[in-house]
Amino acid sequence: MTRFINDVKKYFKYSIVSAKSELKSEVASSYLNWLWWILDPVCFMLIYTFISVFVFKATEQYFPVFTFIGLSMWDFFSRMMNNSVKIIKNNKAIVSKVYLPKYILILVKLWVNGFKMFISFGIVVLMMIVYQVPITLNILYFVPIIITLAIISFGGATFLLHYGVFVQDLSNVVTIILRLLFYITGIFYDVAKRIQAPFGEILSEANPLAFLLKSMRESILYGTTPNRKLLLLWMFIGLVITYLGIRKIYKNENSYVKVI
Amino acid sequence: MNNYAIEVNNLCITYKSLQSYSIKKSLLHLKKNESKEIEAVKNVSFSLPKGNIMGIVGKNGSGKSTLLNAIAGIFSPDSGSIDLKGNSVSLLSIGVGFQRELTGRENITLSGMLLGFSEQEIQEKTGAIIEFSELGHFIDMPVRTYSSGMYSKLAFSITAILETNIMLIDEILSVGDAKFKKKSYNKMKELISDKDRTVIIVSHGKETLENLCDNIMWLHDGELKMIGDTKEVLEEYELFMK
Repeated sequence: MTRFINDVKKYFKYSIVSAKSELKSEVASSYLNWLWWILDPVCFMLIYTFISVFVFKATEQYFPVFTFIGLSMWDFFSRMMNNSVKIIKNNKAIVSKVYLPKYILILVKLWVNGFKMFISFGIVVLMMIVYQVPITLNILYFVPIIITLAIISFGGATFLLHYGVFVQDLSNVVTIILRLLFYITGIFYDVAKRIQAPFGEILSEANPLAFLLKSMRESILYGTTPNRKLLLLWMFIGLVITYLGIRKIYKNENSYVKVI
Repeated sequence: MNNYAIEVNNLCITYKSLQSYSIKKSLLHLKKNESKEIEAVKNVSFSLPKGNIMGIVGKNGSGKSTLLNAIAGIFSPDSGSIDLKGNSVSLLSIGVGFQRELTGRENITLSGMLLGFSEQEIQEKTGAIIEFSELGHFIDMPVRTYSSGMYSKLAFSITAILETNIMLIDEILSVGDAKFKKKSYNKMKELISDKDRTVIIVSHGKETLENLCDNIMWLHDGELKMIGDTKEVLEEYELFMK
């Protein structure tokens, strides 16, 4: 534990600088690239809104914003997962030349993807102004919800990092699981309403992503207080997963180089 | 004398059953993966006084690079110990880890930070690194656009200018074109002869070793065959290889 704190302190700056350079190089490689950080979720929002409103007659209030919040948070999570499966292999150049705690590579991705998520939340704000969504103090739950999302994503990423080294086709499996998760998380529909009781309720609370999405919408769109106990519980579970993942990485990280 | 910079005790490193597997394969063939154990380094112990220069010789696959990697902290020993007495260490080998999409300048910062330097220290030395590398305006281009010569020039410059107490050198004494080769060789010599710096060189070049090293370690199939005075060991080694 103390080792973790020391290492994070030591490499914190590195992770920030590295994330900055990564974002910069993404922008530099094509003019429109940063625009894609916005265009991508906007286009998907339009598609899902079209399908849900016209085909499935969705009735959620502020539906486009509803979907956009879902997409922003989902993109963050799925990027974290997809990035971390191959993260060691993709950073072979570094990993095989110097020692660094391997989860620092995830930390870099956390900043990169977090930054992208904040840009897309900027659009959420714009949309809320356009739709004249009434704001309440409940909007402050934004912070703990995002923190919980970050912790859970980080924890999941540590395990994918570890197994991604040893299992060659893990990324195929992860793609399938992510697709499944995408549909049952309720990015463009309300899980609790659309799926038959009691499964809808269960799915919207036992799936951390569905729960976080729901809480986020409650707090910033509909002005209600999210389930605080459950939020705390998920944060705690996230911390436990992260702890176990980091312990696993510390135990095994030096053998990663021998495999890749 | 108790002023050692590196102490290695009974170091063993094995590559074992650590092959990656795929779910598809293990579903299709339910037989067990036969795991071969390869002992790359067996029971090696030595200690190196501060400021000493040691060369490592041995035929290909005798565990030289593995040993260097272990000292640099990239591999963990399976048994035994490596004590660097708190010295900073850098591994100099052909093609340091660069991120291909980033510019040379950014890679300098990142590599420097990974070697444990502060942002400020790196900033101060970036100018010197760029000058030494002779990359000119290429320094602000992505590394993927570099030729292999430019790549290794930059790699060399970073580790040469950002000095660490212990330098591990894996066959690098010839980098770039003829002019840069000479320059890097001289720089290398300058770095190596610094009294406070402890250096381990892996090389096949007899001349380099004769000129630079205080003593030589000979690894054979992962085992320490001989360690001692440069001339003696090299003579034995020459005889053995004939």
